[in-house]
Order: sequence, then structure tokens, then C-alpha cells
Amino acid sequence: MEELVQHLTPILKEIWGYIFPNEIELHWGILIVLYPYLTGLVAGAFILASLVKVFNVKELQPTYRLAMLTAMSFLIVAPLPLLAHLGHPERAYEILITPNSTSAMAMFGFVYAWYLMAVLCLEIWFEYRRDIILWSQKETGIKKWIHKIVSLFSKDISEKAVHFDKKWVKIITIIGIPSAFLLHGYVGFIFGSIKANPWWSSVLMPIVFLFSAIVSGIAMVLILYMIITPFRGKELDILCLDKLASYLFYVMIIDFSLEALDFVHRVYESEESIKILAYLVSNKLFVSLIVIQLFMGMLIPLLMIALIKILKSPPDLKKMVYFISAILVQVGIFSTRWNIVIGGQLFSKSFRGLTVYKITFFGLEGFFAAVVIFCLPFIILYILTKILPPWEEVRNP
Amino acid sequence: MKKFLQKIPEQVKRLSILLVVVVVVFIVAQSLLTPKDFGLIGHFRATSVQNNADKKMQYAGQEACSDCHEDMWKIKNAGYHKNLSCEVCHGPSLNHVNEPDQFKPEKPMGRNFCPVCHEYNPSRPTGFPQIVSASHNPRKFCISCHNPHNPTPPQTPKDCSACHAEISNAKSVSSHMEIPCTKCHETSEKHRLSPREFLPTKPTQREFCGQCHSKDAKSDISIPRINMETHEPRYVCWQCHYPHLPEAQ
Repeated sequence: MEELVQHLTPILKEIWGYIFPNEIELHWGILIVLYPYLTGLVAGAFILASLVKVFNVKELQPTYRLAMLTAMSFLIVAPLPLLAHLGHPERAYEILITPNSTSAMAMFGFVYAWYLMAVLCLEIWFEYRRDIILWSQKETGIKKWIHKIVSLFSKDISEKAVHFDKKWVKIITIIGIPSAFLLHGYVGFIFGSIKANPWWSSVLMPIVFLFSAIVSGIAMVLILYMIITPFRGKELDILCLDKLASYLFYVMIIDFSLEALDFVHRVYESEESIKILAYLVSNKLFVSLIVIQLFMGMLIPLLMIALIKILKSPPDLKKMVYFISAILVQVGIFSTRWNIVIGGQLFSKSFRGLTVYKITFFGLEGFFAAVVIFCLPFIILYILTKILPPWEEVRNP
Repeated sequence: MKKFLQKIPEQVKRLSILLVVVVVVFIVAQSLLTPKDFGLIGHFRATSVQNNADKKMQYAGQEACSDCHEDMWKIKNAGYHKNLSCEVCHGPSLNHVNEPDQFKPEKPMGRNFCPVCHEYNPSRPTGFPQIVSASHNPRKFCISCHNPHNPTPPQTPKDCSACHAEISNAKSVSSHMEIPCTKCHETSEKHRLSPREFLPTKPTQREFCGQCHSKDAKSDISIPRINMETHEPRYVCWQCHYPHLPEAQ
């Protein structure tokens, strides 16, 4: 009892107005912020990859395979924050073996499995199959066996078979686009369908999630491409960068418009929650929403990319601006997730008070756990690029 | 048949084998791992009900306390804390009920505990006793002046603000600051000791406010006036105007 009081007393001092007793502690912390951020990167990177195959944007070819591997590495890590958040992670598999079709959250396991196996793995397999077979023929030792297993001991590299691969890459990408929309729209749907929470409950939520996901995915591939290429001693393809920045710009405009529409709709509708939400935005979320999400993460990058395009700048300046913009966009999108997940729990359902979120540093749900989980996809990506190099020069002619 | 199999591309054959393996593994895993009692009475393990029932009990309930501490229990149930169970303050005490000598219940002594309910908070209902702990005898434990089993204040509150701080704060910055509370609320002396049994009155007639605010009232010239006959005659004044802070919109 004393311990509980000691724990609650400092939090009580920071509470504003009236809150219900069970609202003092937030149940969803930084890990649940990280989760939609990671799945967003997956969906965004995949949509970027699909631009090459479905919409035939040739300039983006250098980033196609990298985008696929990026999506894969982030998708593998995406469930980890959820697992770390669970009270009994060892029971997580039960969600798959006892499917509950009436629960949106419970069915997510199948959406995830579909996306991982039927879309990403399959597309990467068809895309790399010919190369893997050719690599394994030249290699020896463990690498040869890894490639043989990954290719499922496939041997056929006749023109007909390769043509079949290409056709299927295209078909899977076409199936993959609605799947990517499903994967991330689904995360937005889970928040958007919580009708008791006016900050979350919005039909626009899935689509806002989706476009912010595409923004973050394109920006992440741009960052990775700009960091990895000089490390490999290669030249950055400025045409590819220009195209990436253009798409980033267009999708950001759509994302901005959707968020503005959501904002105007809420203000015009002025439901009973509007006063507490306005207070939330102008106080607890001022820095993370107005300063970081809106200005740093949206308006400044938009302005920078627009200026650089209008002024026809030299390539080096362009590269610097694109890179800084993409970093700002990442910070902004992470902040978007923060504002949705944490913001939605900061105000009382009585609409008369605000609580606080005290982030812990250690422990399974703490800041360091989140940092470790965020770093994992980059390690996985490094390993994937060793097994399935996405570089143009290692492709077999 | 052989011709048909030859026509299927190599990739499809290999992927089909993989798909079959994945499906078989899933079906085998599902049949092995699904608990036998799953789904018998709902979408959960039937024995989970029993598992929860088997959990160690922590709370005894206040009837158990009354068996030994009847005198204390009676005092508490006659006072303001009658709706609180003993274990709200003393913590879960089933162990104490079973082995009274070995386990002693908690006795919250510090100044942190009582303010969880009694710290001033504008959202708490008016009349609920509230203090600002930083300025309310800051060096004393609450229990040195207040008996938690019978928390009637040691001194009868002198001012209305002792319990109605929020209203008092609002009134103190309003144009009604100099009007005493009892001018509008007829209050029995007994309200101080039994606030809920002896409630103060509220003005029920428009003419009450009209004593100062009607156009022919003999009050100070600076007081706003209205025509009592034409100004919303169907309403009592405080239905629209908040008398403790009439400036508020």
C-alpha cells in the first residue's frame, strides 16, 4: 500500500483537473508507439517498391530490391514491441491456433502472416530466384548451401522460367498493394474503431495511418540508400534521388491534406470532447504535435524539397536537403505515432482532466528496450544484404 | 497425368511443397497445442475459470474485521468514513485474519496517504473536505489531529471556505466578494456538524436578486440593473447567471 502511494504521489502532482482513478497510469507506452511506426515503414517501403514493378517508374530501380529487403527486416521486428508489451508473451502463439474472428486485434496475426509469407517472402523469392541459382553455382561452402536452401533447390533458369518469375513478381506486387494497405490500414483501424476515445475514433484514421506510413517508408529507403551507397564506394544516382524526393513530396501533400481534413472535421463537428482535445493539443502535446510533427516533420521538409526543386540546385545541395528532409520526416512520423498512441491516453474520459506519461528507462517496456527493438531491423537488413545483395552490379546479366 | 505434371513450372512445384509443409505444420501445431478444454463454454479455456478461482485470496472483507474489532468497526460505520472498507487504508489483510499474531495490517502514518482523497482538487464535489497539504500543518502527521476511524474535524469549521474552497475562491474575485454566503443561503448552525442532513437553502424567487439588480432597487449606482418584468421572466436568475462569479460567461 505504502509503495503504491509512493508511486502515485509524484504523478498525482502533475495531473490537471479531474481524471478517473484508473486513468492515472497509461497502459500503452513507448513500445505501442514503436509498433505502428515499424509497420508503417514496412507498408511504405513496399509501396515504394511497387512503384517500380506496377507503375514502371524506371528511375527507382536502384532502390527496388533495397526497399523490399527493408520492408522484410522491419516486418520481422514489427511484432516484437507487442510481444514485449504482453504480460505473457509465451502465450502469444495462441492467437494463431485459436483464431477469434470477431476480434480485430486477434485477426492481426493472420494479416501479418499473409503479408510476410504470401507477399514479401514470395515476391523476394521470385525476384531473386534466378540470381540465387547463379550465385550458388559459383559459390562454395556455407554460402552455397544457404543460397540453395533459399532457392528451394530450384535449378530452372531457362528464359521461360525467368519470364514466369517476372510475371509473378508483378502479380504479387499487385496483390501486395492492397495487402500493404490492409496491414497498415488495419493498425489505423484498431485505433479508429475505439469509439469511446474521441482522439482515436475516426473513420479517417486508417487512411491517415496509411499515407503517413508511405511517407515514412519512402523517407527510410531514401536515408538507407544515401547512407549505404557511399559506404560501398558507389555514386548516388541523382535521378533516383530526385524521383524519391518527388514521391515523398507528393505523398506528404496528400498526408498533410488528410490530416488537415481530419482537423477541420473535428473542429467543425465540435463534439463534446473538443475543449479537452484543444487543451491537450495546446498543452501536453504542443511540442510533439505542433512543433515536431507539424513544423519539423511536415512543413519544413515540404518547403525544403519544394524550394530545391524550384531553384534547380546543384546535386550536392540537393542530396543534403533530401537527406535532412528525410531525417526530419522520420522524426515527424515517429512523433505522429506518439501523439496518437500517448495523446489518446492523456485526457480523461470525463473530458475534465489530463494525466501524464512517465517513460521508464529500464525494463521490458522501457526506453532502452524500444531503442534495442528499433535497432534490430538495421542488423537484420545488414544480414539480409549479405545473403541477398540488392546491388545492381551483383545482378547476373 | 505425367504430361500435366511436366507442364507445371518448377517454381510452382517447389512452392506448393513448401505451402503443404506450412499448412501441415500449422494443422499439427494447432491440434497439439490447442488446450483440450478450449471452447467448451466460450472462446477460452474452460479451466481458466477455475484457475482464477484458485488464485490466492488477499482481501478478507470488512465483516471479517468486525469479528475482532467490533468497537472500532462501529465507530467507523457511524462516521464520515462509513462507506470505506477497512482494507482501503489498512491494505489487503486476509493473512492477518488467518494468523493475527504473525501478520499485522498496514497502518498508513505519513502525510502522503490521506491527501490521495483529501488534497484540494477543483473537480472534487463541493463540500468534500479538502486541504492544501503544503500549507495545512505541514510538519504534522494527519492522524495526530484527525482520528481516521471518526474523521469529524477536531474543530468545527469556522468559515464556509473550509469545505467550499472552490466556490469561495471564485467568489473572492467576483463582484459579489463582499456579500456573505449567508445573505443568499440560509444555513442552520447544525450544517457545520452534519452537512448532509442540514442543507443550506438557495434563493428561489427572482425578486431576491431584484433587491439589488431591479431597475428601481435602492442599491449602489454602480450595480447593473435590469427590467424584472421583461428580462427572461420565466427563469430564476441563477439558472443563467452563476451567482458566485456573475462575470463568468
